[in-house]
Amino acid sequence: MSTPEHSQPPKWPLRLMRFFLRTEYLEEIEGDMEEIFQDNLHQYSVRKAKRIYTWEMFKLLRPVLLRNFKSSYTFTPYAMYKNYFLIAWRNLIKKKAYSAINIFGLGVGIACCFLIFTFVQSELSYDTYHTKRDRIYRITHGTRASEDPRNLSKEGPSWVWGNAPVGPALKNDFPEIEKVVQFSGRADVLLTNDDKKYQENGVFFMDSTVFDVFSWDLLQGDPKTALVNPYSIVLTESTARKYFGNENALGKTLKGSNSPGRANEGQYIVTGIMKDLPSNSHFKFNALLSLSTFKKSLPEIFETWDYVDFYTYFLVNEKFNEAAFKQKLPEFVKRQRKDPKTRYVIELESLNDVYLKSDADRQPGETGSLSNMYVFSIIGLFILVIAMINFMNLSTARSMERSKEVGIRKSIGAARSSLISQFLGESFVIVSLSMITAVILVVISLPFVTGLTGKEFEAGILIHWKSVPIILGAMLLIAFVAGSYPALVLSGFSPVHVLKGMTKSASGVNLRRGLVVFQFSLSILLIAVTIIVYTQMNHLLDKDLGFDKESMLVIDYNYDEAVNAKSQLLKTRLEENPSIVSAAFSRSVPGSFFPYAGTEIETKNGEMKMMGQPIFEVGIDFIPHFGLELVAGRSYSRDFPADSSSSLVINEAAAKQYGYKNAEEIVGKKFSQWGRNGVVIGVVKDFNFTSLHQKIEPLTLPFQAYSSRYLSIKVKTEDLTKTVQQVGALWSEIEPHRPFLYSFLDEDFNRQYKDDFIFRKLFTTFSCLAIAIACLGLLGLATYMAEQRTKEIGIRKVLGADFRTIVLLLSSDFIKLVVIAILIATPVAWYVMNRWLEGFAYRVEISLWIFVLAGFIAFFIVALTISYQSIKSALMNPVTSLRSE
Amino acid sequence: MKKTKLGEFEELVLLTVAALQHDAYGVEIKRELETRLKERLSVGSIQSALKRMEEKGFLTSAFGEATLKRGGKRKRIYYTTSHALKVLEEMRAIRADLWSSIPLTASELKMI
Repeated sequence: MSTPEHSQPPKWPLRLMRFFLRTEYLEEIEGDMEEIFQDNLHQYSVRKAKRIYTWEMFKLLRPVLLRNFKSSYTFTPYAMYKNYFLIAWRNLIKKKAYSAINIFGLGVGIACCFLIFTFVQSELSYDTYHTKRDRIYRITHGTRASEDPRNLSKEGPSWVWGNAPVGPALKNDFPEIEKVVQFSGRADVLLTNDDKKYQENGVFFMDSTVFDVFSWDLLQGDPKTALVNPYSIVLTESTARKYFGNENALGKTLKGSNSPGRANEGQYIVTGIMKDLPSNSHFKFNALLSLSTFKKSLPEIFETWDYVDFYTYFLVNEKFNEAAFKQKLPEFVKRQRKDPKTRYVIELESLNDVYLKSDADRQPGETGSLSNMYVFSIIGLFILVIAMINFMNLSTARSMERSKEVGIRKSIGAARSSLISQFLGESFVIVSLSMITAVILVVISLPFVTGLTGKEFEAGILIHWKSVPIILGAMLLIAFVAGSYPALVLSGFSPVHVLKGMTKSASGVNLRRGLVVFQFSLSILLIAVTIIVYTQMNHLLDKDLGFDKESMLVIDYNYDEAVNAKSQLLKTRLEENPSIVSAAFSRSVPGSFFPYAGTEIETKNGEMKMMGQPIFEVGIDFIPHFGLELVAGRSYSRDFPADSSSSLVINEAAAKQYGYKNAEEIVGKKFSQWGRNGVVIGVVKDFNFTSLHQKIEPLTLPFQAYSSRYLSIKVKTEDLTKTVQQVGALWSEIEPHRPFLYSFLDEDFNRQYKDDFIFRKLFTTFSCLAIAIACLGLLGLATYMAEQRTKEIGIRKVLGADFRTIVLLLSSDFIKLVVIAILIATPVAWYVMNRWLEGFAYRVEISLWIFVLAGFIAFFIVALTISYQSIKSALMNPVTSLRSE
Repeated sequence: MKKTKLGEFEELVLLTVAALQHDAYGVEIKRELETRLKERLSVGSIQSALKRMEEKGFLTSAFGEATLKRGGKRKRIYYTTSHALKVLEEMRAIRADLWSSIPLTASELKMI
């Protein structure tokens, strides 16, 4: 026998006993059990003693000795809950105005959150339908700032658009790459089927591997071979319907026009019909032409590393390691370019990041803005918070009314926890009603929201079984957050105090004030932001861009050679029309796409210096036509025949780029660009040819008579519709093969601010909502305060207080709070908006008047809100208020 | 008598408590009864009888001293109440009365 004194009874039966037996019996029974165990140790082996101990333990589990797990008294809570609901309902009905404020305010807040949530959800859903999306990557092309391999900084943002040879080279060098899919830059092709003729703006020359990589459904045709042969075309369903109606398009032919730089004119055979692209695709198209068409006509481009016209995506297999792959890329580039000093870099982007997280330029389609999403989410939360503060304020302010109820409940024996659950339950009832309001509001406002953001909103995202737990969870959370403070305050009343007649709690008043200040700080912040966004946008729209954009009609004919051949005729005929001022041809117009070029210009010390800059190839009249101001030299002129091949006009920024501070000095210097040599003949004043987010870059404007894309026509403003009709008639007379596609330059140019306009609209809407909800709450609070002070006001009036004193008495409290809120909101708004304005190269200064105005607006609205109530109580007859008790 | 029924086992435990006087705590009661009844009893049965009788008002209890053997836990000493003694007396009287009223033959016959 081992030393019995040191043996301990087994632990787990003890724990079991401690759990099951009544606590008041534990000491005695544990002691008894231990004593018996010790006795047994002397009598039996340790193991047997332990066994007896365990067995005895089990025999202890008798009803008399067991702990009470359910409540000891028999009690059906049903009646209590019924009473809770009854009281909640009576409270809602009794104070209809407060209930309406609470429910409507919260409803609007929740509806905003809903809509913003839907928006964020749809932004996040981009490209998620590709089943292989986690294995799809694309490369971006960039240039390093220096040849030093240690210096990793780039010259500018990378481009997604790049060369062709990189694709096959990657496939060749990296076995982990399964499929490479390359496609051209977006081509604008005129497609013709008999009399049906449309300019298609979304067409890509696409690799045959496309259907292996992207999850697009080919409804007809073979996905493996559809895009293998030259002159194959795959149409989306709606495009096919557009050209062929209800006929089966497969195997039919479409005539395709030339797309500049692709030499692809010819008869295309429809080899596939695919489903229309989901709207959440980061690039979209109406038709795909086979890349082999392009390759067949211009094979040398596919070998040239410096020719930019391709997007390269690829699919990898499971062995792919992103980090390791990135490590290998610099070596790969050096090996392929056969130049250890190359400044060319390629980088990797996952398909999951291309829509929201890519910072590269020259995207194949539009991209979303992550920061806008954050901004909208924050605004949505702001509004919800403001609405919840209303709820908290109104319930705590009215807590005095219910203090008697709490006192009585407590003296009857209600536990604090059940009171808390009662008040939380009440807030849940209100949140449920708000939720119903919110759903109604969402359904009503959905079409407007589509107009607001320019995005198609599907209510289907909301009505989905997955959203049910989210909505329920959100409701519980809101009910809890909004209801917890009132619940804690109300349930904390001591019954002795409240039944004796407690009047006021100072901490509650202070907290309420704090919350009102917070609410109004948020509202004033939103107002100030809105004003700043407005002034900045007006600044953008009203700024003199340095060129004439008013009543400028622009016809996009997409480099059509037949049009260019007749350009002189068109111009002459157009200018015969008295309502047309002038007409000019060019390859780019301000706000549209432009290529980059490398240009050599003679510097001051006589050597030729190579620099890159955007290039606008223009017709002879472009400069006077757009009202560009010459600061030095002369413009192109018909008097100088050599202008067509050996002259160059540049802008001031370009002159500075080559080291000429004084523009006069560069006139007459030699230049060499795209195989042309000659002299610089003129310098134009800088004009904003891109959006005002960017500074004016150096620009060259070489004279190119026959490679234009746009015909711009300056028209007189009167009888605009008639003039447009006349231009259209003339167009179809001279260029019958080309649809008449026109737009107005100012509209096109302002389209660059699409995101900013959305931003402005959303801010305006939401700040109005925010201040409206905050004021609703304030109205409720003011009404309540006035009610509370009816007697006081009566006595004051009897003692001789006049109307003004009373109004001031009732308003001063709130006015003070609003002043504090202005002081808080101003620096925050100033900081936030400075950050926003940094995104514009041309921005307004934030001046003090904006904050004064924002504060004044808030002040005015608040004064208006509470004055109603103050005046009403000030005008009340003291007899009525003092008579009744 | 009717309201507070005393079970057979309970009566035995109650009598033991009365007999043990100031030594009447769980283990001692168990030991005493085991020797008298010549059978093993579980702690649970003794304890549940004690608790039930305490609830019915036959017993009161108070903490006694703690010993090392008990792991430092105190004993609970049980005392009989006057009501209990009265009930026990009544029971004995009823039993004795009944015994005396049994005809001799019947008991003799049964003894065979």
